[in-house]
Amino acid sequence: MSIIELEGIYTAYEGDDKPIIKDLTLRIDRGEYVVIGGPNSAGKTTLLESINGLVKITHGRATVCGLDVGRKGHEVRKKVGYVVQNFYFDPFTPFTTEQVVMMGRYGRLGLLKRPSEADYRAAERAIRLVGIEDLAQKTIGTLSGGQQQKVMIAHNLAKEPEVLLLDEPFSNLDFSAREYLQGILLGLVKGGTPIVTVSHAFDGLPDIRIHLVVMNDGRITKDIECSSRSVEDIVRESSFKRAM
Amino acid sequence: MLEPLIPNNVVCHAVEAMVFASIACSILGVVISRMNLSSIGFTMSHAAFAGASIGMFLGTSAQMAAIAFSVGVAALIGPISDKAKMAADATLGVLFALCMAIAIFLISYMQYLGKGLSASALLFGDVISLYREEIYALAAVSLLTIIFVLLFYKEICAIMFNMKIAQASGMRVNVVYYILLFIIAISVALCLNIVGGLLIFVWLVTPASIASQFCFDVKSMFILAPLVALFVSAFGVWAGFEFTLPIAPLVALLLTGTFGLAVLLSTKRKITTRRH
Repeated sequence: MSIIELEGIYTAYEGDDKPIIKDLTLRIDRGEYVVIGGPNSAGKTTLLESINGLVKITHGRATVCGLDVGRKGHEVRKKVGYVVQNFYFDPFTPFTTEQVVMMGRYGRLGLLKRPSEADYRAAERAIRLVGIEDLAQKTIGTLSGGQQQKVMIAHNLAKEPEVLLLDEPFSNLDFSAREYLQGILLGLVKGGTPIVTVSHAFDGLPDIRIHLVVMNDGRITKDIECSSRSVEDIVRESSFKRAM
Repeated sequence: MLEPLIPNNVVCHAVEAMVFASIACSILGVVISRMNLSSIGFTMSHAAFAGASIGMFLGTSAQMAAIAFSVGVAALIGPISDKAKMAADATLGVLFALCMAIAIFLISYMQYLGKGLSASALLFGDVISLYREEIYALAAVSLLTIIFVLLFYKEICAIMFNMKIAQASGMRVNVVYYILLFIIAISVALCLNIVGGLLIFVWLVTPASIASQFCFDVKSMFILAPLVALFVSAFGVWAGFEFTLPIAPLVALLLTGTFGLAVLLSTKRKITTRRH
């Protein structure tokens, strides 16, 4: 059984007269590095948010980590990390990097429970792994966009997710930071955690087999396995063909 | 409760009421201002105002009606925002207008019927004519607010940081959000007699804004905001009795003055002149 199984799902936002995701079927196994590509408004972010149950699935069946997404959305979210695309933290945000990373554990902890030693250790490990020890005591609003992005990745790594979803995770990062974080993601994949990333930048992908999903207008137009070097060409070709 | 320290019963009740109102409102204010829900203050105060008008119109307890109506409005904010896909602030605006319309309608209608209702106590508060039970209720709601923050501290921090990120991490954010609205509703309804529907906003927003000028973390904001509110309110009550001035507006002015001072003195806006 795949860790993510979507069968003929449709998702729609309230008030829209047509669905965003249409009759989409996708299987993702443990240890896969999945890249979701396609033009703007293809439904890529909506697909990620359908996987973790943030967006309502109107038809079809979605199972993640063996849980029905429609009925147990918040249980799914406890097991699935999600690095969101857009975030802005004002300079007066009264939370330090250390506190924000720790918040990644809160969902797993559940209501009313206090973080234990194991939780603090997991947060420290995530901070060390991403290499942001020097930012631990700084408030998040005072960090640069790239540093904030690293904090949000550490926030999700602290969760020790069974699946990691990332929406444009490298958009604010310089080349060396991007390469460094790709190394971390590769480590997770080798450990069996599937990575599902939405991206427009395909340079610097790890040199492994990539499960490439190309989307257009809420549907999957290509679902193949390929080398990391051919990802950009395939996405470009599929999007171009569709535009023609 | 403070009788051994303040022998005059009226002054004692006023100080106690101000102290408990300060604690409850300023602690809630830290959450409200961080979540950009400042308009919840005036919506809930006007819900309490509308509820009190309904109570008077029906000839029942104005305060009980104020609490019941506020809780009803608080219960509507979340679901309406979710259903209508509107920002909570927009929902609050709609409900504020509704509450104000109900209150004005009933007050005008009662005046037409010759019931001779004076709305000034509801609008401006009357801290010197409180019953002991009202002060006990305020003490209870202050305690409830403190317990709420202590129990749900991590959830409150997470939703203050970012509601969507908290939800994505698997937290039950709606449970905490709805409890928060419920406590705000009760606190505001109980404070209506003390500071009035128009001035309650000052207690909900200003102490937290003062604390935010100096605090770099949430824990210290939760401590500093009620301390500032408590000190300024107690001083305001003393000054009000000493110089025969209206207490609630005086405290509101003192809090706003303190906020102005805090902005001027805030270390957060300091720009370093160091070269290294």
